[in-house]
Amino acid sequence: MATVLDPTGAPAAEERRPDRRSRSTAPGGRRRHVPPLLAISPFYVLFAVFGAFPVVFSLYLSFQDWDGIGEMRFVGLEQYGWLLEDSVFWHSVLNTFEIWFLSTVPMLFLALVLAFLLHSQVRFTGAYRVAYFIPNVTSMVAMTIVFGSVFAQSGLANSALRAIGMDGIGWLSSEWGIKSSVSLMIIWRWVGYNALIFLAGLQAIPTEHFEAARVDGANSWQTLFRVVVPQLRPVILFAAITSTINGLQIFTESQVLFQSDDVGTTGGPGQEGMTIVLYLWQKAFKEHQFGYGAAMGWLLFAIIAVFTIINWRLVSGSDRDEGRPGLAGLLRRKGARDGR
Amino acid sequence: MEHRRLSRRRLLGVSLGGVGGALLGLSGCGASSGSASAGTDHLSLWYWKGSLSDKLLATARRGVPGRAGLRVRGSQIPDGDIDSKVRTSLAARAYVPDITVANSDNLATFFPDEHEFLDLRELGAEKVRDRYLDWKWKSCFTPSGRMIGFPLDAGPTALYYRRDLFEQAGLAYEPADIAEAVPTWEKFIAAGKGLRAKAPGKPYLVSNIGNVFQQILLQSTRQFVDADNRFIGDQEHVRRAWDISVEILRQGLSARITDGTPDYNAAMSGSRVGTMTTAVWAVNSLKESAPKTSGAWRLTTMPDGPGNYGGSYMTLTRYCRDPEAGFAFLTWLLSPENQLRSYQEMSLFPTTPVVYADPAMRTPDPFFGGQRPIDVFGPAARKAPVVYFSPYEESANTPFFQELTNVEMLGKNPGRAWRDAVNTAETTVSRLGVS
Repeated sequence: MATVLDPTGAPAAEERRPDRRSRSTAPGGRRRHVPPLLAISPFYVLFAVFGAFPVVFSLYLSFQDWDGIGEMRFVGLEQYGWLLEDSVFWHSVLNTFEIWFLSTVPMLFLALVLAFLLHSQVRFTGAYRVAYFIPNVTSMVAMTIVFGSVFAQSGLANSALRAIGMDGIGWLSSEWGIKSSVSLMIIWRWVGYNALIFLAGLQAIPTEHFEAARVDGANSWQTLFRVVVPQLRPVILFAAITSTINGLQIFTESQVLFQSDDVGTTGGPGQEGMTIVLYLWQKAFKEHQFGYGAAMGWLLFAIIAVFTIINWRLVSGSDRDEGRPGLAGLLRRKGARDGR
Repeated sequence: MEHRRLSRRRLLGVSLGGVGGALLGLSGCGASSGSASAGTDHLSLWYWKGSLSDKLLATARRGVPGRAGLRVRGSQIPDGDIDSKVRTSLAARAYVPDITVANSDNLATFFPDEHEFLDLRELGAEKVRDRYLDWKWKSCFTPSGRMIGFPLDAGPTALYYRRDLFEQAGLAYEPADIAEAVPTWEKFIAAGKGLRAKAPGKPYLVSNIGNVFQQILLQSTRQFVDADNRFIGDQEHVRRAWDISVEILRQGLSARITDGTPDYNAAMSGSRVGTMTTAVWAVNSLKESAPKTSGAWRLTTMPDGPGNYGGSYMTLTRYCRDPEAGFAFLTWLLSPENQLRSYQEMSLFPTTPVVYADPAMRTPDPFFGGQRPIDVFGPAARKAPVVYFSPYEESANTPFFQELTNVEMLGKNPGRAWRDAVNTAETTVSRLGVS
């Protein structure tokens, strides 16, 4: 930039000029690179303002005590120390993992089955694809009202249970009821999205494999688990990793389900629906403890990083070395044994 | 092709110029003045839907009557966002509104940063003091004695009850009789037992005990943190509210339903709950959630006396371009005549007691069987106690409400829940500098 804007004429600039020209590789000098750089600059400018700066600033904030308006006070690692002693925080970590497990495992399985069904010859596939994706783009406000009615004491879910002769469940007033209803909302919202990703992976599998399976007399389940799953492994791992990252940042579902006019309750009875990000939001934006919230954000980052590294080791480990015991390697060897 | 390429390049150029221009504009405005109305001929006002009269704001947009050249333009900010938006603009020292509305529990959270707001006494607030309710006026002051809020509306409380159910249970059922027969919370519990035993359908006394806990606290002048920044949440006034609430649950008089949920609406319209302990602003939501029960409800004095629950304030930020004009706008918008208009249009309960006697406020309400709500809410508004709210109130009281919910919904042992609440609250507020 400086070379472009530099007004020539000063003796010093005159002296540097030949040197500069010799370094440039093509006629026109660096000036040539300016238009393309300018053309892609909106992304970098916006990223710097809305991405990079907040990340760096939140790290700085986590060492401060700040109510959002007044003077900041440097407190060193105090916020992190408090956080490690905060029982509500650890409860929220446990909740997050429980909800993540309850939602991600069934969701990925369901998405795989759905993708497989969509891939086979059924009528109106296009309509189904759209229908399964719609929850992902539905307004959360609308979802609140709908799910509030579904999980109410005298709501749809309990009516359905009673219709088949079972007792109603306290969906929003018992520990596992709360976790199940939050998980169900997550499943509802993300199953279609993951099904589309699986479908894209499925379509990349050569049709010969399916034909060969059919010739060998495999039924649909055998085709799914013996042909599709092994071939889809990279796609499944991608979906698992993104679901983990998303799942550890669960927020909206808990927030909207337990948002009542009452003061003072967050995350429902027993705070069983309190997730890490919901607690972060409560501390930072409801109680104006921005330093504490920032520290929580960075601890969450550390937790997600650990899980991503574990995931990555499992994937790359098996690719580098077939004999190395990774999850994928184990699966593959087991598959090979079963195949024999 | 050539034409298209050119136009694309032009488009890029224009958009780049736009981004650059916007960035320059941002920094430029921020530097010159922090007010959102800088460079315009009006003052800016942030409010949320329903907090101010739309008709009066339309008038103010054209020109505040009696003050030539003063125009105020209101911007509606979503209810849940206004606090963080105001804080963000104050932290950025740019695009700060000249005038804002602050919720009752929000005004105190600005106390540590009180100098972000103008001291209204310096603009002559004392001259209009006698128009407003005394306790509301006092609540506009920070502990250091600066007046950063101006009284908007009030939230006097009352006992809402089902006259038909009380009558069928053989209890006192006219408002005056109940005020006499149920003067305390202990008597309230006794009435609840009669209601549950004898009224048809065995109605519960209350929807949940959190509401009762809240109301008993609001009858006390002290809350969880006092004006000297000491934690007092473990003291007798909180313990008593806790014990009465737990007793209601123990006697099986709570429906254990969270307010505002579909179950709540079903219980209210299905006559499964006999009373409501809340403020005047709950009237409209009750009418919406239980239209079938119209005519059956009555209002009477809260056991142990009235209190105030909610109600908002208006503030002038220190970036206000014209403090004199801003204050003139407040005294116009919140004058007794205009508060009366706001009551008629928006159900905002006036903080100017002189209008309580106005015929427009004394209209009977068929939802309450022709009773005049002002006969209960008017005296309640005059008698509400002066309560000090600390900036750390929410941090301090959250554990108590949470543990009470745990007792009610999950059957947690009340003694253990109380100890957990005190411990959590103490730890939390000690980190905020409360001793």
